[in-house]
Amino acid sequence: MSDAAVHTGSQMKLYGCPTCGRVSQLLRPPAGDAPLLCPRCATPLHHRRPRSLQRTWAYLIAASILYIPANLLPIMSTSNVFEGETLHTILGGIEELRHGGDWMLALIVFIASIAVPLLKIGALLVLAITAQRRSRWKQVERAQLYRMIEAVGHWSMLDVFVVVLLVGTIRFGALGGVMPEPGLLAFGAVVVLTMLAAGSFDPRLIWPEEEDKDRPS
Amino acid sequence: MTDPLPSTPAYAPHAPAVARTSAALAARPDLVVCHECDAVHERIELARGTIARCQRCNALLGRGHVIGTEKLLAFAVASLLLILIGNSAPIVTLDFQGVVSQATLPQAIEATWAAGQPFVAVLTAATALVFPLVFTILRLYLLGSLVRGIVPRGFVPAMHMLVFVTRWGMPEVFMLGTLVAVVRCASLTSATPGIGLFAYGAVTLLITAITAAGTHTLWKRSGEIGGMA
Repeated sequence: MSDAAVHTGSQMKLYGCPTCGRVSQLLRPPAGDAPLLCPRCATPLHHRRPRSLQRTWAYLIAASILYIPANLLPIMSTSNVFEGETLHTILGGIEELRHGGDWMLALIVFIASIAVPLLKIGALLVLAITAQRRSRWKQVERAQLYRMIEAVGHWSMLDVFVVVLLVGTIRFGALGGVMPEPGLLAFGAVVVLTMLAAGSFDPRLIWPEEEDKDRPS
Repeated sequence: MTDPLPSTPAYAPHAPAVARTSAALAARPDLVVCHECDAVHERIELARGTIARCQRCNALLGRGHVIGTEKLLAFAVASLLLILIGNSAPIVTLDFQGVVSQATLPQAIEATWAAGQPFVAVLTAATALVFPLVFTILRLYLLGSLVRGIVPRGFVPAMHMLVFVTRWGMPEVFMLGTLVAVVRCASLTSATPGIGLFAYGAVTLLITAITAAGTHTLWKRSGEIGGMA
């Protein structure tokens, strides 16, 4: 479908509410700089979310920095009477599952813990840079990419839950136990920060309009 | 006064927001604006089981729902019961040469807190336990009132909260996490999946079904009731 055939909310002074979906048509602009609020649910209405890219960049940079300790530091330690204390990183845990013969599970954990966070950071970089350049390159594919990272984002929390459950379950006192380690904190923070980054990105920025130049918000 | 229900005033969601802005915003129920690319479409009736996508960016705009409101309410009741069971029954039981160890989700969260990781403990408590629970209670509250023809008190703030807990609740990820944890335990010692794991599995299915129904019906229903009052 060609872009010329599409009428947009910003051209027609129509606002779709992000919370309740009500479509409002602006008949008379507000006095002064009073914010536009959805008449049904009072959510602020915008054609482009304010400071969307600044927020996305801030969360994305923070997530990228924490990604390093999340993968280098151990996420948990196990101890038992025979071997003493052993530290486990995320990659190490996947390797243990693979050695144990659980190929399927090793693959699932690899996808959730390594592939998804990397994919999210990479995809958000592509989305933020192209949006900043007001690019019209592969818009439908970029919209698809945005939907994908929104859909898979929270699956990275898998390893956090696994460690919490192991810490709670494997408690045999002197015989053996599991403790959480600082890498888990960094990893949990990466998951939350990438979710916040994806949530801050306004997908409408994939579809720039002429008048956006004068009206950056 | 002839009002048969004077004790339950219908909450009118239209009034407060309008008072706060001088702008004139007319409702256009005949249109849909794509939330992902701002393209404007005409609203169409969707047959059961069909979906509508944006012509420009392919975003999901709406569904013709298969599951009715009464069924969703039943799902929410079941979900609440199963969350209670899932959090009070052990998720996995370990037997290490006669020494038995088992944990429920709240115990695992507490152990993580005690082990010096309060942030991780709070994050897990929120995403795996509190948000799915709040999600279920809110759905019960909202659906329970709407099927009786009442717009519940605090409808709009409850809907805002529902959007938040839907986004940040992760019962399905937690479910997969319990399976991975059981397999990893089983490589060390004899591990038996507990009632908690099965209860959480059912919660995951129910919450996914309720989430798929979206919130549009709730807004529409409240508008119809509010309009009649």
